[in-house]
Amino acid sequence: MKVSMINLGKKYEGRENFTIRDINLEIEDRAFCVILGPSGCGKSTLLRMVAGLNSITEGELYFGDRLVNKVEPKDRDIAMVFQSYALYPHMTVYDNIAFSLKMRKERKQVIHHRVLEAAKVLQLEEYLYSKPSDISGGQRQRVALGRAMVRKPQVFLMDEPLSNLDAKLREQMRIELVRLHKRLETTSIYVTHDQAEAMTMADRIVLLDQGNIQQNGTPSDLYNRPANLFVAKFIGSPTINVFRGTIQTGQFVSDSGQVRIRLNDRDQEATRNHDGKAVYVGIRSERFLPETSLRDGEDAITATIDVIENLGKEQSLVVKLPDNTELVMTMPGHLHFGVDEAHAFGIDPHALHLFDGETEVRLN
Amino acid sequence: MAILNREVKKKSGDLYLSDKPPLTTAGKVGLGFTYFILIVFAFIVLWPIYQIVVNSFNGAQARNIILGGGFSFSLRHFEHLFQETNYLHWVKNTIFIGIATAIITVLIVSFTGYAFSRFRFKGKKFSLLLIMLIQVIPTFAGITAYFTLHQIIVGVVPFFSRQMLLVMIYAGGGIASNTFILKGYMDSISPELDEAAHIDGSTNMQTYRLIIMPLVRPMLAIIALWSFIIPFLDYMLPSILLNRNQDYTLATGLFTLISDQRTMNQPAFAAGGMLTALPIVTFFMLLQNQLVSGLSAGSVKG
Repeated sequence: MKVSMINLGKKYEGRENFTIRDINLEIEDRAFCVILGPSGCGKSTLLRMVAGLNSITEGELYFGDRLVNKVEPKDRDIAMVFQSYALYPHMTVYDNIAFSLKMRKERKQVIHHRVLEAAKVLQLEEYLYSKPSDISGGQRQRVALGRAMVRKPQVFLMDEPLSNLDAKLREQMRIELVRLHKRLETTSIYVTHDQAEAMTMADRIVLLDQGNIQQNGTPSDLYNRPANLFVAKFIGSPTINVFRGTIQTGQFVSDSGQVRIRLNDRDQEATRNHDGKAVYVGIRSERFLPETSLRDGEDAITATIDVIENLGKEQSLVVKLPDNTELVMTMPGHLHFGVDEAHAFGIDPHALHLFDGETEVRLN
Repeated sequence: MAILNREVKKKSGDLYLSDKPPLTTAGKVGLGFTYFILIVFAFIVLWPIYQIVVNSFNGAQARNIILGGGFSFSLRHFEHLFQETNYLHWVKNTIFIGIATAIITVLIVSFTGYAFSRFRFKGKKFSLLLIMLIQVIPTFAGITAYFTLHQIIVGVVPFFSRQMLLVMIYAGGGIASNTFILKGYMDSISPELDEAAHIDGSTNMQTYRLIIMPLVRPMLAIIALWSFIIPFLDYMLPSILLNRNQDYTLATGLFTLISDQRTMNQPAFAAGGMLTALPIVTFFMLLQNQLVSGLSAGSVKG
C-alpha cells in the first residue's frame, strides 16, 4: 500500500519545539523505504506516527487513499518489529506468533496453518514451544519478524530491528529481511541510524536530520549526488573528505592554499556565479588516485601517511597534508605504503562534490 | 580408575573450593560471635512459639498458664475452644474478611497500578502524591467517620454489616499503599510490550489481562497475601466496630479468652493462636507457585 505524508509534524506535550515538521513523503507500494538519520533526528517518532503509537500533531497521513490520522494502530493493518523485539515473555514462540491472529478472532485452523508457515520461512519450527527466554538473540529476532508477518499486513514497520545482534548475524539478517520483503510484497518502512544497513537494503532512503528531510532518493543517489554537505558526510564509510576554500577562475583553492584542483567543464559551469566565494569540496576516499597512475599535468597533492588500516582487499590510509589537514584515502590492497612516507596522490576531477560555503547545498 | 580415584580424593580433601579467602583467627572469633547473636535471636523468636505449642497440648494446665509445671498430653483445650467458644465463627469471619479484602484490593490495585504506570493524564502527579500523603494518617484516626459512614450505607443497603465495613476499611488502606508498589513493578516492564500488543490488535483491557497481568502475577500474589493477613493481625478496629461475640475476628475473639475473668482460659488461647496460623499457611501455599518471580526475564533484548 502506498503511504503518503503531507506536511506531517509532531510536537510532544511539554516541549517547546516540534520534533519533526513539514515532512512530505510518498512511499510507493511494495517499496523498501529506509528512514535514516543520527540519533535524536526524529526518525523513530516518524515511524511511531505511521504506526499510530504517537499522535499526529499536524499534517495528514494516508494509507492508499485512506486518511489514517486518527485510526487506532490495530485498525491500520500494520505490523511492527521493535528494537527490543518486545516478545511476550510468558508465552511460547507459537503463542507469540499467533497472538495477533487470536486477537482478530481468526479460526484455530487458520492460525495454526499460518504460524507453521511463518515458522518454516523463518526456520523456527524447532523452537515453537520454547519460551523467548530460552532461545538466542537471533532467534528472538526471527520470532519478532514472524509475529509481524503472520498477519500479512499492508505496511511492515521496523524500528532498528538489527541493532541488538552481533555483526555477523546482522549481515545475515540484512539479506534475510530483504528476501522476506520481496516475499511478502508489502510496503516496508525501516528505521535505522546505520548508513551501511540503509545502503544495502533500501530501494529508497529518506535521510532525516533535525526533524527535516535532507534527501530522499535511491542509495546510489545519496552516495553519488548528495544534496548537501550533511548527506555527503553521513553517507559512506570512511567519511567523505571535505576541504573548505574558494573558487578562483575555474580552480578550487583551499583556505590554506595547499590544495588546488582544476574543475572540469561541468563543475566550472556550475560554479560560475561563485567566483571568489567560499565553497566546500567533498571527495570520497576511493576517488584519490595512487602515484603510479598519475599522468603528467594532473593535479596532485603530497601527503604523509599517518596510519594504515589494512582490510586485505583494500587499505585505508589516514594521511596528513603539510597544513595538518587529515584525509582518508582508500587504496587497493596490493599497493605498498609505509607509515611516515610521503606520497603524491591524484584527485579525480570528475569525482568532486561542490557545496555552497554558506548554505551547504550542492552546486554541481 | 586410579587416576579417577586420585582426582576424587583431591577434590574432597586438599582442594580449597571456597571463593573467599581462608579465615584468620580474628575472623573465626568474629564468625563465632555472629553465630552466638543469631542463636540468641532465634531463641527469642522460637521460645514463645514453643511455649504456645507445649501449653496448648498440656492437660495439666488449668485456666491460667503456669510455667514450669508438669506435662500430660491432652486435647481438652482444643475441645474447650471448639465447644465452649465461638471459635469456628471467628475463623469463618476472619477468613471471609481476609478473602474479601484480598479480592477487592487486588482487583482495584490492578487497575490503578496499570493506569498510573501506563497512562498520562491530568493530575497524575498530584494524585500519586495524595495517595502517598493519605498513608501518613493512621487508619484508626478515621474511627468516627467509619461509624457515620456505616450509618449512611446501612440506610441505603440494609444488609451492609460491620464486617463489610471492615473489609472496606482494610481494602481502602491497602489500595493506597499497594498501588505504589504495583506501579513500581509495572514500570519495570517495557512499554514496548503494550505497544506490540496494541498493534497486534488488543484493547487496553486485553493488553492488561493477557500481557501485563501474567507478568505482574508474583507481585499480585504478594499483595493478595498481605491483604489476606490484615484481619488476622488487626485487633483494634474489629474490637471497636464489631459488637457481638459471634461476629468477632480471631484476634478479638481470642482476646476474650485472656481479658475477661468470666471466660478466661489461657491454654485455649494458646491453642487458638496456634490454629490461626493454619489458614495463612494454606493461603501461602496456594499462592506459592505464583510467587516465582523473574518471569519477565528474556522478554526484551538478547
